[in-house]
Amino acid sequence: MKNKQYSVKVFETTVDNEEKFISFFNTNYTLFKDHLILLQGEVSDKITSFLDQKSLSYLINTKLPIGRSRKALEEEFNVMSVENSVNQQIAEAEIVKLSNRLANNLTVLDEMVRSGRELNIEGDLLLLNRVNSGATIHTTGNLIITQVVEGAIRCDGHFMMIAASPKANIIFHGVEVDNSLLEDKLNRIELKNNEILITPVIKKEINWAS
Amino acid sequence: MGIVIAVISGKGGVGKTTATANLGLGIAMNGKKCVVVDFDIGQRNLDMILGLENRVVYDLVQVMDGEASVKQALIKSKVDDNLNFLAASQSKDKSVLNSKKVQKLVKELKESFDYVILDSPAGIESGFEHTIEFADAAIIVVNPEVSSIRDADRAIGILDSKSQKVKDGAEVAKYLIINRIAADMVQSGEMLRSEDILDILNIKLVGKIPEDKGVIDASNQGKPIILDKKSIAGQAYRRIAGRLCGKKIDMKDVEISDSGLFKKIAGIFK
Repeated sequence: MKNKQYSVKVFETTVDNEEKFISFFNTNYTLFKDHLILLQGEVSDKITSFLDQKSLSYLINTKLPIGRSRKALEEEFNVMSVENSVNQQIAEAEIVKLSNRLANNLTVLDEMVRSGRELNIEGDLLLLNRVNSGATIHTTGNLIITQVVEGAIRCDGHFMMIAASPKANIIFHGVEVDNSLLEDKLNRIELKNNEILITPVIKKEINWAS
Repeated sequence: MGIVIAVISGKGGVGKTTATANLGLGIAMNGKKCVVVDFDIGQRNLDMILGLENRVVYDLVQVMDGEASVKQALIKSKVDDNLNFLAASQSKDKSVLNSKKVQKLVKELKESFDYVILDSPAGIESGFEHTIEFADAAIIVVNPEVSSIRDADRAIGILDSKSQKVKDGAEVAKYLIINRIAADMVQSGEMLRSEDILDILNIKLVGKIPEDKGVIDASNQGKPIILDKKSIAGQAYRRIAGRLCGKKIDMKDVEISDSGLFKKIAGIFK
């Protein structure tokens, strides 16, 4: 790519009277022959052919950048760079926050929670084993347990995923959940419009051939 | 170098001491040198079940305190030469135990016996913790009822967190014995099924022992039921002892009732 950068003198005008315009350019031709003529408003063919004939460069109804002093430019540049760095810092902080939440607040356990054990988890818990009678679990975040629960579990997160557990004591946001509403596979328990909603995740459905 | 097995249950009265006595004798009958140690300080009764009540001179606490040597305190069984017994103290309580003393004793016993069986006290207090602390393996005795299962579950939890082997990064082998299974009650659904118990406790099953009225009489007389070849509980203990000695013995399903139709018909023709 070949680049060149230079300044040109611009003469901006409107065409109110065509005769006057032509006579003006005829008399001042030497003055304007190196200018860029910028015409605003309606311009007739007569004028454009006149300008072409004189081989003057011109633009019609165009907005050109207005020149500014170096100082003003530098100031603007400074403001922009400060804004950019602030935005970048905010974005970085968001990413750190998010990754912290993902990395530090999810606990994954694959061990039996035996009787007498008390688990208090800050954040989310994914438990891949059973919770025996006499054990208690409390999470401030979401709680997913893939096996049968026979102990007491308390969750204050957005949702719980629990298998059917007829012997469990389940408390979600301070409200006891009725075990009989839990079905065979995983159930999703969540708070919606101040109501506790229980939906079976994998509902066994018989697809009859039709 | 022998292996140290702690017999635990959590709940009391499920047959820990009976199991210890019978398995100790069973292992000895398999030709292995075995010592059973009563860790139930202050409430000794393993000596009675083994029929060695009147022969206790020195007890466990005296050995640990250095008042007597292990050799002096060991009592040889009348029934089998391979079986030795170390009695608990009757007068002291379990607060006299401490880790160092227990470790020293266990180490000493391990050097001269193939099997060291420790009879743990009920509950999960210090006496229990000392029993499991230096054990290589544990036998958990449960009855097929919810209270026993929950207590055993708790005991396993403590075993998995407090034993020295676990602290060293290894795992304590855990074997389950389901004691006092009443076949007819399992059949009628009143008693927990073995599969459900195994689901909850998640450890290996080493044997099931059926309910047998003869056990109480055998304990009272100081002749462990394993000596009675006709007894169904005795046979079950024989099988478990064989398995503990590394023999391959198939599991017998003691949950199938013997008092079924065929037995009744046979009864008519007696």
